Amino acid sequence: MSIKIKKEEPDMARLDTMPEPMRSHLAELPCPTFDTRPWVSGPPLSRRRVAIISTAGVHRRGDRPFEGMTGDFRVIPHTCTAKDLVMTHISTNFDRTGFQQDWNVVFPLDRIRELAFDSTIGSVANFHYSFMGAADPAVMETAAEKLAGLLTGDRVDAALLVPV
Amino acid sequence: MGALAHYLETRGIPTTQISLIKEHTQKIQPPRAIWVSFALGRPLGLPGNRGFQLQVIEAALALLEAPKGPVLADFPHDVPEHTPPSEDSLDLPACPISFAGPVTHATEMEKLLAAFRQEMAEFRSWYDIGLEKRGYSAVIYFSPDAVLQVLSDFLSGNPLTLEENMSSPASALRFAAQDLKSIYFESVMFRPDMVLTDDAAFTRWFWQKTAAGAILRAVKEKCSASDDKALKMTGDMLLVPLDQA
Repeated sequence: MSIKIKKEEPDMARLDTMPEPMRSHLAELPCPTFDTRPWVSGPPLSRRRVAIISTAGVHRRGDRPFEGMTGDFRVIPHTCTAKDLVMTHISTNFDRTGFQQDWNVVFPLDRIRELAFDSTIGSVANFHYSFMGAADPAVMETAAEKLAGLLTGDRVDAALLVPV
Repeated sequence: MGALAHYLETRGIPTTQISLIKEHTQKIQPPRAIWVSFALGRPLGLPGNRGFQLQVIEAALALLEAPKGPVLADFPHDVPEHTPPSEDSLDLPACPISFAGPVTHATEMEKLLAAFRQEMAEFRSWYDIGLEKRGYSAVIYFSPDAVLQVLSDFLSGNPLTLEENMSSPASALRFAAQDLKSIYFESVMFRPDMVLTDDAAFTRWFWQKTAAGAILRAVKEKCSASDDKALKMTGDMLLVPLDQA
C-alpha cells in the first residue's frame, strides 16, 4: 500500500496566503520599533568571520532545554554535528520535520563551513548561539549585550541571524 | 529576530538575517535582511538541498557588503513546487488505528489508549530501524515506551513518574508530545509505503489520521481543564498547533 497525503493548503510563510488562525496570530504579534538605525561596516565577505545566531530553540543534546520566556541563549560550539543538536522551542505552531531531515535547513553550520572552505567567507566562529524566538524581544536585550561581548571575543564580524 | 539584530548591531556586531515574516521585518527595520517565502520551520528552504541552501545563505551574507541601510531584499526563488500526485495515487487514510478492541465495555478513553498502543507498536519498528540506520534521532527525552507510559498515566489519572531532568508534569507532557511526533516522523521517513506529497503532509496526517494525534488532543483537553497554571498554559498553547486545534 502506498500512502499519499494530499496537499490542501499553501505552506509558505506569506501572511496573506496563510490559513487562519495562524495568519491573525502572526499578524498581531507585537513588533518593537526603534528610533535609531545602527549600521556597522566591515571588511569584504571573504575576510569575515561568521557566527550563526538562531532563534529556533536548538541546543546541544545535553544542555538545558528552553522552558521559559527569559530571553536566554545556548552556546553551540563549531564542532557540533547533526546528531548533537536538538530543538526544545516551546511553540507547536511550526513544522519541525525539515529540521529532522536535515539540520542545515534550520541551523546551516555545514553550509557555513563549506563557505569558509571555498574562501567565500573568511572563517567560521568557534561558537554559535541559539535563542528561543517565542520570548519577548525586549527581554532579549540584556542577553544580546552579553552575546555581543562573546562575539567580539571570538572576533566575529558577521552574525547570520536565522529565524524559524 | 529583527530586534536581536538591532541590539547586536548597536553593540558593534555587523548582522544580516533571514526574514520569514516580511511584515515583521518591515516594522522592526533591522540593518540587513533577506526575505524568503518558505514555510515556518524551514528558513533555508529545502532540507537535503545543499545548493539551494547555499543560495539563501549567500544572498543573506551579500547584504553585508551593501553600502547603506537598512536594507530588506527579497530572495528571488520560492521552494520548487512538488509534483502533484498522479491520477492513480489515492489519497488514502494512513490511519492504522483499529478500534475493534476486545473490550466491548471499555470507555472511549480506554479504546483510544488501546489504539494508541497498537499504532505505536507498529510505528516503533520503523523508528528503531531508522535510528539504527542514521545513528541519531531528534527524540530528546522520551523513548517510545516512556511516551506511552507518561501519556497513558496522565490520561488514566495515575501519578506521573518523572525523571530528574523534568522540571514539572507540564514540561514532561510537552516534551513527551514533541518526542512522540519525532518518533512518528522518523518512522515515516523509513517506511517504504508512505510518501509525503508536500512539506505539510506529515503534520496534517499526524493530527487528522492517527491515534497519537487524538491522544495529544485528549491530553490538551485535560491540561486545559486543570487548575494547575503550568498545565493549563501547556494545554492551551503548547501541545496542539493553532490550525489543528
